Amino acid sequence: MTATLGDVAFVIGSMARTAVDNEGLFGELDAVVGDGDFGYSMARGFEAVLAGWSELDRASIGGFLKGVATTVMGRMGGTSGPIWGTALLRAGTVAGNESELECAEVLAMLWAAIEGIRQRGKSDVGDKTLLDALVPAVNALEGELLNGGAAADALSRAAVVASEAAEATRPMVAKRGRASYAGDRSVGTLDPGAAAVARMFQDIAASWSEHVGRSDSEAHT
Amino acid sequence: MKKLINDPQDFVAEMLKGTALANPGSLRYVPEFNLIMRVDAPREDKVSVIQGSGSGHEPAHVMFVGRGMLDGACPGDVFSAPPVDYVVGTTKMLNSPMGVLYLVNNYTGDGMAFEMAAEIVEAEGIRVATVVIDDDVAVKDSTYTIGRRGVAGNFFVIKAVGAAAELSASLDDLVLLGNRVNSVTRTMGMALTSCTPPAKGSPLFELGQSEMEMGVGIHGEPGRSREPLGSANEIIDALVEAVVADLPYRRGDQVALMINGLGATPVSELYLAYGRAHEQLVARGIDVARSYVGEYCTSLDMAGCSVTLVRLDDGLVDYLAAPADVAVRIF
Repeated sequence: MTATLGDVAFVIGSMARTAVDNEGLFGELDAVVGDGDFGYSMARGFEAVLAGWSELDRASIGGFLKGVATTVMGRMGGTSGPIWGTALLRAGTVAGNESELECAEVLAMLWAAIEGIRQRGKSDVGDKTLLDALVPAVNALEGELLNGGAAADALSRAAVVASEAAEATRPMVAKRGRASYAGDRSVGTLDPGAAAVARMFQDIAASWSEHVGRSDSEAHT
Repeated sequence: MKKLINDPQDFVAEMLKGTALANPGSLRYVPEFNLIMRVDAPREDKVSVIQGSGSGHEPAHVMFVGRGMLDGACPGDVFSAPPVDYVVGTTKMLNSPMGVLYLVNNYTGDGMAFEMAAEIVEAEGIRVATVVIDDDVAVKDSTYTIGRRGVAGNFFVIKAVGAAAELSASLDDLVLLGNRVNSVTRTMGMALTSCTPPAKGSPLFELGQSEMEMGVGIHGEPGRSREPLGSANEIIDALVEAVVADLPYRRGDQVALMINGLGATPVSELYLAYGRAHEQLVARGIDVARSYVGEYCTSLDMAGCSVTLVRLDDGLVDYLAAPADVAVRIF
């Protein structure tokens, strides 16, 4: 399995549409224990990515991801801007000047993004954040890919794991972000960041085969 | 939702534009970074003092920009920390040879935005330092959370640091002063009603007709407890007790007392609350040397109030009493 710039752009575009389409849902989830700004911040940041889509640098995967990161940090406020900006920047640094990545490089890129989120948020798995969905999902993706699984299967597995992991944040006590002020009262609610990650994986997995089919037909014309 | 707004997405920008138009001689609006700045900033003879935070807390912090207080404020959207780029852009525009001081309320998003911005501008040779404000006693300061929140007490840090900066205090001295003021400032608030962010269009949380939230955050975050609605005296006594016990403030201490309205509390009620709080402090042998009653750090249209105490010393009194010229005025 390899990933082209087109594949990376598809994933980013899908994530952006998920953020824009679910502004209300993510805002409602955040309002339960946070302050309700999560959906709005995510939507405004990724809306800016879609608005500037055609102007993004497409010379390399690293350049593309850094362009996305810059756009996100220019518009996305709250906790989300630094978190997603850092993740995209770190991923871009690993991807560098390549226009196609080997499987191991794709995984290294995802783990670098996760490490960036850990450092920026001073948080880890178990704190009731997006990491609680993202880390298990990338672990599942890695397991499938290293076993020789196809990208489509690996993404489907990651989407299932991410959804289960997001659901598993309900009984957790929030330790980061404004939800942490709620302490024990945060128990019983879904973490909005984890829910967003799960929804992104679901949407990517659902449309991946369509994307691959389109890429193949483009390659043959 | 019934509000004096147009498109919710234009809410912050239109508010900032109005702030600048109302103060043509002293304030300038830079739309690119949601920035309200002094027209005479940056100045070579003073550190530039800047704030970020979310919008929805006005007059904090854009209306605290002016002589003797902030040099600039670049808020994010309602209840949302500013994007990193706003902070970077603001820092570059206000870069003074004496340095730039970030006053950051202790929230996850604000902390990260200012930390990232500091990394970026320091790499370009700009000298920055940060004071984190965390005066809210409702949140336990434990290693399992990000710690206490910054709320209405940030006014005193801004006022003292702003006054010292006007006298050309160094960046290091301002950091010491800001931390000192923060260390003797404590606040607790309570909500009678929820609040409605324009972009959400509905109340952030539900609070029944006969309920109140004690220890509420300025973004409607939960506080210590939800309780049956009490009388004004019961409410103020509980807030004063929580604040006094936290530092603690002791018999013989000289303090500043602030009753801050959260956005939808009549001035009359704030003065009623002030009277009770003042008497409670006097009864404890605490001397109220300076008084503040009004809206300093609001939560949109939330009804409720917060009580802030600052333990004073001679130096601090001088900074608090020093002249300032900001957008908030009734003369």
